[in-house]
Amino acid sequence: MKLAYYPGCVARSTGREYEISTLAVCRALGIELAEIDNWNCCGATHVSNEVVSTALAARNLVRTDLPVMTSCSICYSRLRAAMIRLKDRHMRKRVNEALEKKYDGEKEVLHVIETITRALAGAEDQDPGDLIVRPLAGLKAAPYYGCLLTRPGGGIDSPENPSILEDLIRTLGAEPTDFRLKMKCCCGPIFMPEEEAAAETLIRILRNARASGADFVVALCPLCHLMLDANQPLLEKKLGEEIDLPILYVTQMAGLALGLAPEELGMEMNSVSTRPVLEKLEKIEGKKAEEEGAEVC
Amino acid sequence: MRIGVYVCHCGLNIAGVLEPSALAEFAKTLPGVEVARDLQFTCSDTGQDTIKEDIAEQKLESIVVAACSPRLHEPTFRRVISEAGLNPFMLEMANIREQCSWVHMDEPPQAQEKAKDLIRMAVAKATLLNPLHGETMPVSREVLVIGGGVAGIQASLDLADCGLHVHLVERRPTIGGYMALLTDVFPTNDCSICVLAPKMTDVYNHPLIDLVTYAEILNIEGSVGRFTVSGVKKARFVDEKLCKGCLNECAGVCPVEVPDDYEFGLGKRKAIYMPIPQAVPLVACIDTSACIGCGLCAEACPVDAIKYDQRQEDFRFDVGAIIVATGWQSFDPARKEEYGYGRYRDVISALQVERLLNAAGPTGGEVVRPSTGEVAKSVAFLQCVGSRDETVGNAYCSRVCCMYALKNAQLIKEKYPETEVSIHYIDLRAGGEGYEEFYMRAQRLGINFIRGRVSEVEEVDGSLRVNYEDTLLGGFRSRPYDLVVLSAGLEPNKDADVVGNLLGLAKRPDGFFEIAHPKMRPVEAHIDGVFIAGCASGPKEIQVSIAQGEAAAAKAMRLLLRGELALDPVVAMVDQEKCIGCQLCVETCPSKAISVDKTAFVDEASCKGCGTCAAACPVDAIDMTLFSDEQILAQIRAATAVKGQYPFIVGFLCNWCSYAGADLAGTSRIQYPTNMRAIRVMCAGRVDPAFVLEALKGGADGVLISGCRLGECHYNKGNYQAYQRVQVLRGVLEKVGINPGRVKIIWCAASEGEILAKEVRKFVSELKEMGPAGSELAALRPLEPAGGGS
Repeated sequence: MKLAYYPGCVARSTGREYEISTLAVCRALGIELAEIDNWNCCGATHVSNEVVSTALAARNLVRTDLPVMTSCSICYSRLRAAMIRLKDRHMRKRVNEALEKKYDGEKEVLHVIETITRALAGAEDQDPGDLIVRPLAGLKAAPYYGCLLTRPGGGIDSPENPSILEDLIRTLGAEPTDFRLKMKCCCGPIFMPEEEAAAETLIRILRNARASGADFVVALCPLCHLMLDANQPLLEKKLGEEIDLPILYVTQMAGLALGLAPEELGMEMNSVSTRPVLEKLEKIEGKKAEEEGAEVC
Repeated sequence: MRIGVYVCHCGLNIAGVLEPSALAEFAKTLPGVEVARDLQFTCSDTGQDTIKEDIAEQKLESIVVAACSPRLHEPTFRRVISEAGLNPFMLEMANIREQCSWVHMDEPPQAQEKAKDLIRMAVAKATLLNPLHGETMPVSREVLVIGGGVAGIQASLDLADCGLHVHLVERRPTIGGYMALLTDVFPTNDCSICVLAPKMTDVYNHPLIDLVTYAEILNIEGSVGRFTVSGVKKARFVDEKLCKGCLNECAGVCPVEVPDDYEFGLGKRKAIYMPIPQAVPLVACIDTSACIGCGLCAEACPVDAIKYDQRQEDFRFDVGAIIVATGWQSFDPARKEEYGYGRYRDVISALQVERLLNAAGPTGGEVVRPSTGEVAKSVAFLQCVGSRDETVGNAYCSRVCCMYALKNAQLIKEKYPETEVSIHYIDLRAGGEGYEEFYMRAQRLGINFIRGRVSEVEEVDGSLRVNYEDTLLGGFRSRPYDLVVLSAGLEPNKDADVVGNLLGLAKRPDGFFEIAHPKMRPVEAHIDGVFIAGCASGPKEIQVSIAQGEAAAAKAMRLLLRGELALDPVVAMVDQEKCIGCQLCVETCPSKAISVDKTAFVDEASCKGCGTCAAACPVDAIDMTLFSDEQILAQIRAATAVKGQYPFIVGFLCNWCSYAGADLAGTSRIQYPTNMRAIRVMCAGRVDPAFVLEALKGGADGVLISGCRLGECHYNKGNYQAYQRVQVLRGVLEKVGINPGRVKIIWCAASEGEILAKEVRKFVSELKEMGPAGSELAALRPLEPAGGGS
């Protein structure tokens, strides 16, 4: 399978490990990615101007004939929203006035979670079990969706109570926890102007995730990841207590199950150490091997 | 044809502007006119007598009265001429008051010319009138009532008490509908089942009511006065005659428990069950989807009423009228996923809290948290769940939720004064007798009212939080509650679609069945002989549903009590020779009066005479008995015979709205130009493109068609069809080089005389700009050398 790859700006800045793990996972799944040539901002920086924002997204979409995949939920949402806006004849006309190559209809836009889910489900000639060489049995993952993966509505899953991430966690052998605040906003957009309110919500989210019994949280969006991962030391300081909850990108989690090494997935780049996750996994595997070894004897 | 013309002075109402004597003299010159007189007050006894005498002495065959609007005195003069021995339909009126003298007070000479044209047009039509005979048809005096909720129950009882035989068909094993499941009801907080149960028993015991429960209607054929209904009565595997309704015996031994649908999933019932303790009929029923066939109930039954070999039974009967009382269904609150219904156990629906509050409910009347079984210490009611919410496709207000939430909040507060009760609302609507007082009572009881739509319900660490914006205090807030009740709205009952389709009922955009007129005909369907009562036509409280049941019953009685039906002779008729069986008329007919078997057949009992089919027929095989093609074409030709004015407009006004609107312009003395000659048609949909072309061919500079406002057509969609035809016709005119602006279609309600006057003014000035008819064609063609080369 060949897909056009739209990295988005974060992939080249604070979300390096997301891109590294995305590329590694796609390689492992046999998906060929062709980066869109001369891509630009998805439009998120100009949401206050609908025409500019839509035109920016459209300029990316017209640069390829392949289905477009991105790992960033913001980019994913912007690209989808733009296609919805462009159904309007007037909007399409205005946008096309600005574009060199004209927008001429909808494209398939995929989030990396869809790509992984489909690849695992659709591997016709092989059992998904064959791909999942290192099942994450014994690990508990808190599925964190953030706001934009499922919005605008009518996309891959329910905007209020989706389950695609829980399903993937199960497929990979781990157990999704009952994480009630899985849809709560990560407060990224209000972090600068309303730091106090953001911190309060983030603490609620992290506490709820930990209380659900999770070994780690799975994030789908680089902004969510930034808020929960890079921010965690700051929140710990404010709170005066340790949270110490690793935040894995969905691609890092999937990569582990596909048998990729942590360093291939950029796991050393996360702010909160991912060691406890890896150690627990190794411990469980060690125990299992011991039991099996005992059986053989 | 020997015609008499009577021009009325109407005191000075007409004579103040026009010269009736000159008009009478003019009328005498028209072909066929034997007598023409001007009379002071034609409608007075003297005037009437003059007409009667003339008919007798001059052997008149057809009468033209040039006076006020036919909407005022047509019935009077029809009676007059029939008293003189003429067929009442041998009358035509020229409206020279409302549509002439009253609206052209400043231009007497032009008005006089217009009046002459109007009389010429009336005489032309009068020449072609035919005697029509209203026939009568025997009708069945039985009525089908579909749905055994409170509306259907009330309708059945009223009909049966008046001596009509009723077939009450209900889908579920008991009648009573939702009302039977509610606890106390607003605004008096009396016990719902206590007031309903006696009526349910009355239905069961009434000798003239045939109660068919646990049944489905599968087919309805025929039309008003003679519907044939068939369906099946499902097997309940319990003999209705033998079962004593003791229930303890059979249900006591049944080993299967399933969620109780009559408790909305809160309680459990057995596979053999009695829906409610007050069920009518009081007969158990086996739920085949749950029964495991163990046979224990049959062993336990003391009267051997359980019959595993029972089969469904077909039924079939004839009725003269049908009352659709199919009710509503609850909006599924799980669709508002942000409120967590179905995910969080302590988020429940309004119907569930009704059951919790009900002493006969699953908790014996205790309002408990389903998750713990403990009495809730704080309860929130979330309003407008699935109502006034376009995100779920329901723009409408469900009308009863404010009141039932107020009621349930009061019941909780009365029972548990310590419990904190809040209502989260966006607008509180308490319109109705005693409703506002009921709202004030809730306030006095200490119930919190918080304005602002709730954004989400969260369940964290086992407790619910409601997040919302308080739009009175300003700011985002969050409150914990033990129990959250979602005030789910009312939606159209999907199970009623089968019946709706069988009857051809129209639906409004909100999905409920549409009534014949949104105000004036609240319980009539578009289909003759079919009435709609209760929530089938939109959300209603109990008292309105009862009133509608009574109204529908009264309408059905009015129709059937005499045992025969007088048919309106103004109907469509099909020329079987010409008809090609294309079915266009079937699609066009708003009354489902036409069927096609090789050729079209019009059921005269159902036809309402709008004439849309006649305009739609591609081979002119359909014509009307009155307002016929021939008559209208004659009116058009008479109108354009002289063309004493420029620009000259031929108008077609629908009887119900636009013609009445033009009359209103007259009674309001709204002045407008004299350029239009109006022809009355029953519906804008009657206007055949051939009429427009005939007017243009005759030299009219413009044609104005005016119908009811869109969505208000008295024949449902006739104005849309008129619009569509005009659009097509305009395209054709443009192709041949005629300015399409010469044909104009407008919408004017009976209350909008000012709009009609304004549109005429506007059209006159537009036509002036276009120039005389045909001027655009002259501009197209290069001028040929004069004299052909001589």
